[in-house]
Amino acid sequence: MSLLIQPANPKLMAANAVKRLSSTRMGGAMVKDYWDRLFTARERGAQVVWYNGAAVNPIFQAAGIEWCHGEAFGARLAAMHQEGPAQRTGEDYGYINELCSYARTTLGCAVLTKQATVSDDGISLPGAEQDVLASRLPAPDFFVNAYAGCSTGQQWDEITYRIFNKKLPLFKVSYPFLWGNKPDHGYLRGQEWEDASRYVAQQLHKLIEFVEFQTGRPLDWEVLREAMHYIKRASQLRLEAMALCRAKPAPATFWDWIASIAPINFLPGNQALVDYFAGVKAEIEQRVIDGVTALPNERYRLAFDGIMNWNKVGWLANKFAENDAAVMCGRYTHSAFWNEPQLIDEDDPILGMAQHYLLCPFNHSAKILGELLLRDCEAYGIDGVVFHATRTCRSASNGQMVVAQMAQRAGLQTMFFEGDVADAAFYKDAILESRLEAMLEAIDARRMTAA
Amino acid sequence: MPTSEEILARLARIAEDPNRYAEAWKKARGRKVIGTFPMNFPLELVHAAGALPVVVQESGQPITLGRTLLFEFYCGYTRSLTDQAMTGQMEVFDAFFLVDHCVALLGAADAMRFELTDKPIFLAQYMASMDEAWNVPEIRKQIDLLRAQLEEFCGVTITDAAIAHSIRLYNRNRQLLRHLYDLRRAGRIRITAGQMQVLVKSSMVMDVEEHTSLLADYLAALEQENGFGEDLVKLHLSGHFCHAPPIALLDMIESCGAVVVDDDLFAGFRYISTDVPETGDPADGLTRWYFDRNTNVPCSTQAQKTVDWETYLVKSLEKSGAEGVIILMAKFCEPHMLYYPELRKELDRCGVPHLLIETEHLGLPLEQLRTRVEALLERVSRGAVASPAPARHLQPHP
Ligand code: SF4
Ligand code: SF4
Repeated sequence: MSLLIQPANPKLMAANAVKRLSSTRMGGAMVKDYWDRLFTARERGAQVVWYNGAAVNPIFQAAGIEWCHGEAFGARLAAMHQEGPAQRTGEDYGYINELCSYARTTLGCAVLTKQATVSDDGISLPGAEQDVLASRLPAPDFFVNAYAGCSTGQQWDEITYRIFNKKLPLFKVSYPFLWGNKPDHGYLRGQEWEDASRYVAQQLHKLIEFVEFQTGRPLDWEVLREAMHYIKRASQLRLEAMALCRAKPAPATFWDWIASIAPINFLPGNQALVDYFAGVKAEIEQRVIDGVTALPNERYRLAFDGIMNWNKVGWLANKFAENDAAVMCGRYTHSAFWNEPQLIDEDDPILGMAQHYLLCPFNHSAKILGELLLRDCEAYGIDGVVFHATRTCRSASNGQMVVAQMAQRAGLQTMFFEGDVADAAFYKDAILESRLEAMLEAIDARRMTAA
Repeated sequence: MPTSEEILARLARIAEDPNRYAEAWKKARGRKVIGTFPMNFPLELVHAAGALPVVVQESGQPITLGRTLLFEFYCGYTRSLTDQAMTGQMEVFDAFFLVDHCVALLGAADAMRFELTDKPIFLAQYMASMDEAWNVPEIRKQIDLLRAQLEEFCGVTITDAAIAHSIRLYNRNRQLLRHLYDLRRAGRIRITAGQMQVLVKSSMVMDVEEHTSLLADYLAALEQENGFGEDLVKLHLSGHFCHAPPIALLDMIESCGAVVVDDDLFAGFRYISTDVPETGDPADGLTRWYFDRNTNVPCSTQAQKTVDWETYLVKSLEKSGAEGVIILMAKFCEPHMLYYPELRKELDRCGVPHLLIETEHLGLPLEQLRTRVEALLERVSRGAVASPAPARHLQPHP
């Protein structure tokens, strides 16, 4: 997910571009190194797991194996505009373009990887040609599916498993959707939350048994505790850095947090991860001291709801900046990815891990999503909410219209634009532009009335 | 004794407008009507609570207000649910219960919950992954939850004896419907695909005893005269989750010179495929049923390594003698889109001609589709001329 920020309108760029944090470049480099290293896993004789969904990677780290997060690779391909070969392969295989584009991109990669590296009997082919980025993933030794909040996420690995001829082991972690049947239910509270937490924690112990079986050695619990210690620290720094952005005008924006998703989502829990977020926080602190702002002329503060439009990140960042709109917070950045570090008990991290997996931003009811959004809107002084209606991701789109109504009732302006996680064909620039303009005008009008 | 046509016409009216039936039932009995959602809900529990369980159907009305709570890129069924909630078409229901976890369905149910603030919508989520031993007690736990919630809502105690009684009633109903399927597969009766849909769909919305009694009458009244001619191409209809495909589409398919001999549609064999064990603890029986259904007719909404829909499909063709397959897919149905290539691959491998038709909530281009169906039948016929050996198409290509 290294972001290739390009100017939406080169003429306007110099004057109105987002001033991104320079510290996030280090994250881009760390992520690139991570993938480059993963591509050579086979040569190095490492065992490889392909997984989807929650960040169960600390378990793989403690097992001494290498991990490939399917969605992350799909996002990376889209962000680098290299999703084409995988998506075409998926289409040839029979996927309709309305299907989740993460799934069909990554399944396309699976087809390519399998063609390049594995015989029909499941035997690795030595020296196979893997020249397209989409086909460079090392063939897996086994799969782990750990997808909360989306049935497609779970079904997707049933298909990956079949693409590899049902020859490789697959472990699945199941998650209850945090629906809220009883009045005691709320964010991080209620019987349902407690029960779900315990149920997922039990499965994580089973997952560890499975991984131990696959590797033939016991999990190194010390490494797991250590990884979770670093992740917890990195997460705290990330949240502290985010809180600094409440300053007006903002020293950094949502786009910097988007650039920081990959590190917190799947890089190893180690000192480098902590250093990265410490660097981000330090840069923001310095900006606050120096009065440096992310936008030269911040006039509006917006929230962004929905999953990212990976092939349009740079474009979107600059489009909002051109309009003096600082996008401050979002569900995908502020309510996700180890976002409640106090839940992690470093000595006994499993329950806290399980709880974070349940806190996937797509695993909440619309009511809770609305409450979280309104909480952030208040914290960041938000004027309006931009909803990315993600064409092929019903999970990210679920509840958005309800949440929009909740936001409107709270006096916020809202707008929708259609796009997609990894298929640029669903995005229409003109629609975003006209709707954004209309929303900003409405914000102006309301300010004038209030004045 | 009414004729088979008369019985069918009555069931068709109910299947067409289930809410009207439910209103009359409610008025006559003074008990609750509970809406349930596809595809795995154990209606027996609601029945045992003394309420009328209804699998909520897609409405024939166009989507209007529903657009303001659910995007247009959701399947027609979920968009219709939301629209029905917003346009007062859900009045008859006292509450809703669901166990399935399809992401679109959860989104729709949540939107309904926002709109219908006076009607509880209760989720007892069944884990969809069926390979893990620990998920069996987890499903059992959800059944206990459902039972407790229904007891609280209906103000009754649901005894084991009541559940066992309901299980027997539903099993009997499913058995009669499966008997009709057997007769149709064997070519002993001619029931059109549209008629079969009426028979199954009405069973989802009616009082089970009343439905069973009408089915028994229907079977008795059915003349044996109507096997079908050899010149018709035998087809299997596959898929179409959660809701019924338009009958006009089914009629059009058969009007092209085909006869549907089997299906694995939700509003079809998938729904009635499996009985609940009648011995032992009834809640354990309902737990078993959930797993057994997916073994009997695998579904891509479930995650199970040990069964494959495509293997089931090809075996079904052997049984029914179907020569081609039409895959009916509700547009935007994610679990179906995801699995479709696996079906296609296997059908191609076995040399079975097949066709994918995507359906929408309303307004299918029937004439365009007719051309595609005719082309499929043509392909089947050409294959039959080349080699008349039975079930030749099931041999894998060399
Ligand atoms: S639909 Fe969305 S949440 Fe589900 S698997 Fe695809 S990207 Fe993930
Ligand atoms: S399984 Fe398919 S038809 Fe059923 S609710 Fe989900 S998307 Fe709609």
